[in-house]
Amino acid sequence: MSPGRWAGRGNAAALLLVAALVWLAVYPLLFVGSEALRADIADFAAQRSEWSALWASLWISAASVALAAAVGVPLAFVFERYDFPGRRLLGSLVALPAVMPPLVGVIAFLFLYGESGFVARTVRAVLGGEASPWRLQGPAAILLVHGYSMYVYFYLFTRAGLAKLDASMLEAAASLGAGGWASVRRVTLPLLKPALVGAALLTFMTALASFSAPYVFGGGFRVMTTQIVATKLNGDLPMAMLETSALTVVALAGFALIRRTEGSRLVVSVGKGTPPALRVIADPVARRLAALAGWLLAVVLLLPHATLILVSLVPAGTWTTEAIPPRLSLTNYGALFSEAERLRPLLNSLWMAVVATLAALALAVAAGHLVVRRRVALRPAIEALLMLPWAVPGTVLAIALATLFSARSPWTLRWVLVGTLAILPVAYLIRSLPLTGRALLAGYRQLDPALEEAAQTLGAGRWKRMRRVTLPLLKPALAAGGALAFVTALGDFVTSILLYTYETRPISIEILSSLRLGDVGVAAACGGGRVLVSAVALGVGARAGR
Amino acid sequence: MAACAVGWLLRATATLQLCALLLAACSDGRTPLVIYSPHGRDLLTQFERRFEAAHPDVDVRWLDMGSQEVLERLRSERANPQADLWFGGPHTLFMRAARDSLLEATDPSGALFVSVYRTPAVIAYNAAAVPAAEAPRDWDDVLAPRWRGRVLIRDPMASGTMRSIFGMIVGRSIRTTGDTAAGFAWLRRLDGQTKEYVFNPALLTEKLVRQEGTVTLWELADLLTTMHKGRPLGFLFPASGTPVIDDAIAVVRGAGHADLARRFAAWVVSPELQLLAAREQFRLPARTDLPPESLPAWVREVEATLRPEPMDWELLEARGAEWMIYWDRQVRGTGRR
Repeated sequence: MSPGRWAGRGNAAALLLVAALVWLAVYPLLFVGSEALRADIADFAAQRSEWSALWASLWISAASVALAAAVGVPLAFVFERYDFPGRRLLGSLVALPAVMPPLVGVIAFLFLYGESGFVARTVRAVLGGEASPWRLQGPAAILLVHGYSMYVYFYLFTRAGLAKLDASMLEAAASLGAGGWASVRRVTLPLLKPALVGAALLTFMTALASFSAPYVFGGGFRVMTTQIVATKLNGDLPMAMLETSALTVVALAGFALIRRTEGSRLVVSVGKGTPPALRVIADPVARRLAALAGWLLAVVLLLPHATLILVSLVPAGTWTTEAIPPRLSLTNYGALFSEAERLRPLLNSLWMAVVATLAALALAVAAGHLVVRRRVALRPAIEALLMLPWAVPGTVLAIALATLFSARSPWTLRWVLVGTLAILPVAYLIRSLPLTGRALLAGYRQLDPALEEAAQTLGAGRWKRMRRVTLPLLKPALAAGGALAFVTALGDFVTSILLYTYETRPISIEILSSLRLGDVGVAAACGGGRVLVSAVALGVGARAGR
Repeated sequence: MAACAVGWLLRATATLQLCALLLAACSDGRTPLVIYSPHGRDLLTQFERRFEAAHPDVDVRWLDMGSQEVLERLRSERANPQADLWFGGPHTLFMRAARDSLLEATDPSGALFVSVYRTPAVIAYNAAAVPAAEAPRDWDDVLAPRWRGRVLIRDPMASGTMRSIFGMIVGRSIRTTGDTAAGFAWLRRLDGQTKEYVFNPALLTEKLVRQEGTVTLWELADLLTTMHKGRPLGFLFPASGTPVIDDAIAVVRGAGHADLARRFAAWVVSPELQLLAAREQFRLPARTDLPPESLPAWVREVEATLRPEPMDWELLEARGAEWMIYWDRQVRGTGRR
């Protein structure tokens, strides 16, 4: 086959991929935009409440990034650089807040740190006094929840970045006379930049789209996500679409801004170095202290999970004004397993998450192949489209999909998917694309093309090369991207609530439904099951990635 | 190895989907009747079993969601209706759905929706913290200084009950002064008393039970159900009158099984099912022709003490959204200067 024909086929495939991505990620948004034009834009612009909600969304997200970085980055340094007893176990435990279920996770926070929660009651019991020492409400409470659940992005990304760091570069810096701080500033941080930017992006977008934290803790504090829901509930659909568009514009602007800081002057570590050796703390007293501090930290970080389990063990209505629940039993779990109807949602969530993850991985492999191997002309478009869903809050995507796929008109590429089995996996797929995309592009870039060429000279066909050489080498990337995508799909709440059907009702809806009936315990038991499955998936992903 | 893993995943997916389908396959050959309802698992499970026992060829499938969500869904599924029935929600929402052509004739007279239960709004309090004799007896009592910062309110933008109460206050103001200003002044004072607007009814219960606040405005069915679950709560009907919201049922326009849905709707308002709902699910029957001796004691007590407020529902439906926007922008958070 001539090279010319090869390039032609590559470009055709790239065109196909771009078309598919545009259809999935861009087309729905255009629909929301056109709906928004029907709203009274002047009225929107004149309302102080709208602007303050938009501003609140923005600064809460920015502050969440700062807070998450302040916790996550130092933590990653400690765990990647120092050795102390229990380092490995603790290192995986502190990643667990990533798998806190939505809504009921926030409620666990309320039971723990809320004004009638465990900690407040204990403080009150010790210090005495009538009123609760604090109230968990408003922006501070939202930031606390965000910081807690999002530092994990910085922690994981920074650890991954540090693991790839080349010790010889640090040694070179040291031999050139750079002190500890200078080498961090001039060598380590520039090398970590892609990881930090990635984490900042993920945190910013997640915070901007966050719904349950402001919903539960906001009080009178307005952010855009809750504002959209309130407007929709009031029946003003065009205005809701306009607010949605405003939020998307802010998100896209933030996305562009953060991407810019990544800069063109990318610092790349050359050569196949080994990461700096772990520093073993020699002094036995310091060792013990470090271990103690580490364990204390882990306990604090895992308290909400513990609360979730505790709440799931409290029979309904027995825990009122006591600091510690008076009675514990397994009745909530009994309720969960006594009816097949209650297990359906877990199975539904599992198969939909698996399907969406596999599809997202397949698209990401195709994208990686076309962008990195073939270097097709359309590669900037493919890369941008893969990242775009990050800039779109989950509620926006759901509204867009619900509008777009509720009419049949094949000529404009619209089919009725609302109310079918397909809509939720499609939504999950779109939301997972940035995760798998980023992982696979990075994976392909670290892949030596010589290996594939060797296989080709040995007579392996295209599929055999893919199966026997490329995919096995991509395993860490597949595992990392796949695990994250799976956990995200399993935990999704904001998209699911608008799109689920009887056949596809997912676990998060079951949690919400139990909450609506006041069965907080059953909801917590359900949430606990979800945490377990997600933790196993992340663990499997981490093992396979090694 | 990765190919292996992918193959394994594919097999796992197939297995999972098979499991899900097997569980779903209870519907083998039976006609599915899909119901969107906010009535909750307890009532719906009981009704599902009863109806299926009487109609072995029918598979009742309910989806539990808030009544506002039901309306949202019917709108977005207009081109491809998934539900046959909408069971439960304030009739003002049903009026809006009827205006948007989302409903179909539900009873033989051609009415687009039918009232099933009555839900009076009540003043509720934590009975462990507030002795019954000291609880507020009327709307104005909630504004007394002793409840300042002790009142929890369900976020009114998302709650049909709260909208009805606010609507009643504004409606009274129009009736007595010809203008809404006095009503909003009252609501501003209520805002000053309010400790927190709670988005979720379950959270409201938790906060009330855990004494973060001690007084709230609520509706009867939810409250009785919660009290039945052992929560230490109490309630009373405001002396000057309270809105009684009709809780309705309707067949969805374009429903796949409209006739079956009509049968279900007729069954739900039959005396037998009305009594069942009253006896076991704390729903106040919409029917007034039920023999008093067959009704449970709580219903007779409610009928004796309840004083319904004459409500102009048409006006509320027409101007409610506008009032709520005004409240949200100009009143919320301004009561405590």
